[in-house]
Amino acid sequence: MHLHVASAYSLRYGVAQPRALAERAAGLGMETLALTDRDGLYGAVRHVRACRDAGIRPVLGADLALDYDGDPAGTPEEGRVVVLATGRTGWTSLCRLVTAAHAARRTDVGPGATGERGRRPAVRRELVGTHSAGLVVLLGPASDVGRAVAARRPDLAARRLAAWRETAEPVLEIVDHQDRGDGHRAARMLALARETGVPAVLGNAVRYLEAADHPVAQVLDVTRRLVPLDRRHLDDRTGHAYLKSEAEMRRVAELGCGAAEADALVAATRRLAERCALDPVRDLGMDRVHLPDAGDDPHARLAARCAGGLARRGLDRSGAAADRLADELAVIARKGLAAYFLTVADAAELVRSRGIRCAVRGSGAGSLVNHLIGISDLDPLRHGLLMERFLADSRPGLPDIDLDVESARRLEAYRLLFDRFGAESTACVSMMETYRARSAIRDVGNAVGLPPSEIDVIAKAFPHVRAEQIRAALHDLPELRQSNLAQERLEVLFRIAERLDGLPRHIALHPCGVLLSNPTLPDRTPLEPSAAGFPMSQFDKDDVEAMGLLKLDVIGVRMQSAMAHTVAEVARVEGERIALEDVPRDDAATFELIRTSRTLGCFQIESPGQRELIGRLQPRDLDDLVIDISLFRPGPVGSDMVTPYLESRAGRREPDYPHPDLAGALRESLGIVVFHEQVLRVVAIMTGCGLSQAEAARRSLAGAKGQAVVGAWFRTRALARGYGAAVVERVWRTLAAFGAFGFCKAHAASFALPTYQSAWLKRHHTAAFFAGVLTHDPGMYPKRVILDDARHFGVPILPLDVNRSAVDWHVEPVSAGGPVSAAPPIPEPEPMPEPMPAPPVLPPVPPDQDAASGAWGASAYGIRVALNEVKGITDAEAGRIVAERPYRSLSDFWRRARVSRPIAERLVLAGGFDALYQPGPGGGGPAPRRDLLCRVGALDRATARPGRGVGEGQLPLGDETGDVLGAGIVEEIRPGELPPMTPSEMVEAELEVLGLDVSRHVLTFYGGLLRGLGAVRARDLADRPGGGEVLVAGVKVATQTPAVRSGQRVIFATLDDATGPVDLAFFESVQERCAAIVFGSWLLVARGRVRRAGARAVSITATACWDLPALEEERRRGGIEAVRRLMARPGPGGEGGGTGRRVVHATGFATSPYADIGHAGDTARRPPARLWHASGGSSGPTEPR
Amino acid sequence: MTRVFGDPVEVWTSDGRPVRFVWRGRLYTVRRVLEHWVATRDWWREPPPAADVPGEREFWRVEATPERETGVYELRRDAATGSWLLSRLWD
Repeated sequence: MHLHVASAYSLRYGVAQPRALAERAAGLGMETLALTDRDGLYGAVRHVRACRDAGIRPVLGADLALDYDGDPAGTPEEGRVVVLATGRTGWTSLCRLVTAAHAARRTDVGPGATGERGRRPAVRRELVGTHSAGLVVLLGPASDVGRAVAARRPDLAARRLAAWRETAEPVLEIVDHQDRGDGHRAARMLALARETGVPAVLGNAVRYLEAADHPVAQVLDVTRRLVPLDRRHLDDRTGHAYLKSEAEMRRVAELGCGAAEADALVAATRRLAERCALDPVRDLGMDRVHLPDAGDDPHARLAARCAGGLARRGLDRSGAAADRLADELAVIARKGLAAYFLTVADAAELVRSRGIRCAVRGSGAGSLVNHLIGISDLDPLRHGLLMERFLADSRPGLPDIDLDVESARRLEAYRLLFDRFGAESTACVSMMETYRARSAIRDVGNAVGLPPSEIDVIAKAFPHVRAEQIRAALHDLPELRQSNLAQERLEVLFRIAERLDGLPRHIALHPCGVLLSNPTLPDRTPLEPSAAGFPMSQFDKDDVEAMGLLKLDVIGVRMQSAMAHTVAEVARVEGERIALEDVPRDDAATFELIRTSRTLGCFQIESPGQRELIGRLQPRDLDDLVIDISLFRPGPVGSDMVTPYLESRAGRREPDYPHPDLAGALRESLGIVVFHEQVLRVVAIMTGCGLSQAEAARRSLAGAKGQAVVGAWFRTRALARGYGAAVVERVWRTLAAFGAFGFCKAHAASFALPTYQSAWLKRHHTAAFFAGVLTHDPGMYPKRVILDDARHFGVPILPLDVNRSAVDWHVEPVSAGGPVSAAPPIPEPEPMPEPMPAPPVLPPVPPDQDAASGAWGASAYGIRVALNEVKGITDAEAGRIVAERPYRSLSDFWRRARVSRPIAERLVLAGGFDALYQPGPGGGGPAPRRDLLCRVGALDRATARPGRGVGEGQLPLGDETGDVLGAGIVEEIRPGELPPMTPSEMVEAELEVLGLDVSRHVLTFYGGLLRGLGAVRARDLADRPGGGEVLVAGVKVATQTPAVRSGQRVIFATLDDATGPVDLAFFESVQERCAAIVFGSWLLVARGRVRRAGARAVSITATACWDLPALEEERRRGGIEAVRRLMARPGPGGEGGGTGRRVVHATGFATSPYADIGHAGDTARRPPARLWHASGGSSGPTEPR
Repeated sequence: MTRVFGDPVEVWTSDGRPVRFVWRGRLYTVRRVLEHWVATRDWWREPPPAADVPGEREFWRVEATPERETGVYELRRDAATGSWLLSRLWD
């Protein structure tokens, strides 16, 4: 019977999830429940589904802000009305009114409306009037009428109420939260209703489930207003905005209005709720699919296109193809989905027609129809892919086709779809970002008034866990146990922050979903403009499916952009046009590269775990890559299938088939189960149930309950068909362990292709490949790792240069970039010469031995650092720099490129002007970056000085001939007055400005320490015996905590030490003393044992680690002996502790609750703000030596 | 004039409403309830309470009389402890 209820989908206002509200209402014996969220219908679909499950009837509405209408007696602030929908007409009006409220986000605001309220969606009374069909307007205490009543202005209240009666159907809502004045106001509101004959109902403006939830609502009140907690900032001062029972509601009404009126109000409230209850099918259209209009007889047209496709793909003589096609078309006909396929084919063709790289991913590749009508390039018959995984009679809902497009052109693809299908019929899908530990701590921290710097430290100490895990994580994780955060004074912070868990806090554009429908779309979903300007449904991806709306996932894939950039660079520089789809898929050299595990930058196979697996698996063809990608999943890992497979593959043991009948299904993976498709085949073979039924069984494997049911069914059927009990049991165990994990082969096959293509590009167009990867940043590592990898592949890194750098990373023939071929061989690991001048072009590490020995030779092309890498540079600035080239001097640049002073300074610091000011070849001495920096300041002051007339076209800086700045206007700064930057200062500047150590690897500055300690370099690790103890060091480039078989939280860290990656594993037994350092330091030293996983694959099982700058500090204080003493000291905690609990899945597979989450501290993708100053007073590292 | 107190009082209630109270040794009889409201506690200012529920405070503003002259008294009840205070008076 509640008619005014805000759920958590009233952002930063409501506290309860729709499902909890519906369950509570049902528990209280109510038959209807409304959801009236603020400013939108974000929770509407969830509410309808929750009500259905709870056995009550849903009412839907929205709580909308009233726009200031210029009435001088009015209160512009936060006036609100609730509109409720009756019937299908009402639902349509509601959707359109909410859309209109967002379109009319007020920009001109009345007095007092500032900040937050300045950009809020809002309605005027007239706007409600234009959409009033089927709507009921609840006027409560927050409405303009209610405010006039509270202000004791009965005349004004009556006038406003009369205006509403002319506009729509108003009902007065009597609310009493038992705050001061509430009772009197309620009585006067009721009196107004009785005088005017307007109906009155009871409401409680619900915000949370029970009274104890009020602190959360109060935190949200002040968070919404960006103020600290104080009574005067609270909407909720009484804790009575909870879902009260009818009896409680009646009692409150009786207190203020008397018993007779209380009964009348309860009855009126029930009547209105009954009237507003919506039917999901009749009123909301949730039973049907609302596809785009595909013209007459779509099925016949689809069949015709498929027939044409058979001929085009050369399959017209294949009986298998004909049978498969007939099967698929029959399913499509039964489900009435022909228009869907035609629409998706249309969309894919449209995107490709503009030259946007576009590939299908996921189960859609299993459908022959998709192949024949041009959606997918993979032939499902040739790759043994099944349709049932994608589309079957047993699969509910719409099938899912995902298109991968170049990430950089995703919005372009969106625009094409909007143009093609019409703005009325197309919308993006939204998603709710919800509170997690860090965001909850930040908001609650601000609410309780902690200093911002302390909040930042506390929030970053946590890994990216759920908010409800905060105190558990404090207890479980060693890096937090040592953080000193478990204090009583922070207890209230953590306790309230946990209660924000999962509450929506921000609506965002879903990264890929696009709704394609017909012009009734705005009747079915409220829309609001996204930040990028696209109309966006307020429903998320699950909601739109429930509403029968077709969602096409257009996924931006950075690797596709990286490959497009590579291909474009090859075309630009070499004139060769590469058609990646036509590249032969069996190139031996490419697989040779893959087998070396030197696959940084390649799609899917660059992570430490994948590099190790590739080293063991040694792929020889595309099918091997399909298996490799599928094996690297929790399912196969969890059911221990990797080792048996690898052993069979190496010929050390015979493939072991549970039963000869299964040999056909399992041959491709040598007896183990890797693919969803194999699960389907195995179930179908052993039960005889057919693939469609088998797919339904596979989907049930995920949950414990489904597993029990399917298990009993499977055993009965298989035994009845004569399979032995032992065989049945063994097969079932495998299937159960596999669960819902594992991989769809169609998906793996569509992933293997870009994996191969990226490796092919790395092998054959190395420099261009690195330019593509550095531009679009598709992988898991910071760019500086890719840059270092480029050095190892013999690709010279050409420094930032205002006259040569492009907006993005470009390839340059090295002859044009400087004397690269004459680059000196790198002295490391031998002692480096004393501080050396910065070489003009900087490949400090020689090509690797394989490269140098001619495997693919030193590159004839280098890659030029992109302007976009300069921190804070805008697209406009980068574009102007390129457009105005060439520059003869800094002041010439300053005048024409017109960049901001900080950008000019950063360009100078990162060496962008070195080439202009380099003393001639062999002239010695680095470019005077410090002098140039001063000149930027002088130029800025000169041009900023009023009255000195530095206008367009004037040349007041007198700098036509080059180096010397004109006297007079600009202060004179003589070159050479300031000391040149040392190499370490240069690297520090590069890291600060570019995030990249361009001129030399940052580790070169610790050569003395590392030699003193006998640290082993990455490239030498492969020669170390397994089990031997080593010391390694490097820059942390990645940390991961993937789900592993034991259920431990294992920390995998990757270091980069200038000779390659070093992969470390920290098991729980050492985390007590290591975790804080691993997550907190950027430069690390680690000790551990060598673990050999294959011919070349080596990793380290770490036993201890240290912060490298801290050790360097110690060395400079007390020499190498002091460092050794420091390292011999035991760390904090000692053994044990561990990370506690395990989550055991229905499949028996245990994981750590902290697996696969972002780690504590800052991201490793950029170096920290302060690099090597371990303590105050440190003067930084010594020069390379 | 308004005066603010924080004196503990003993209160007799009927059906949740105060009907009599004793303040500084004198018995007051409630003639009329003028206003009744509740307020949450300022939990963010208080040391961490043992319970997760901070509990509410209930205010009754009443006309009451010890003998002949009538005054307005504000009584405050702490729901967590059940204790009463005389928080203000107007006489």
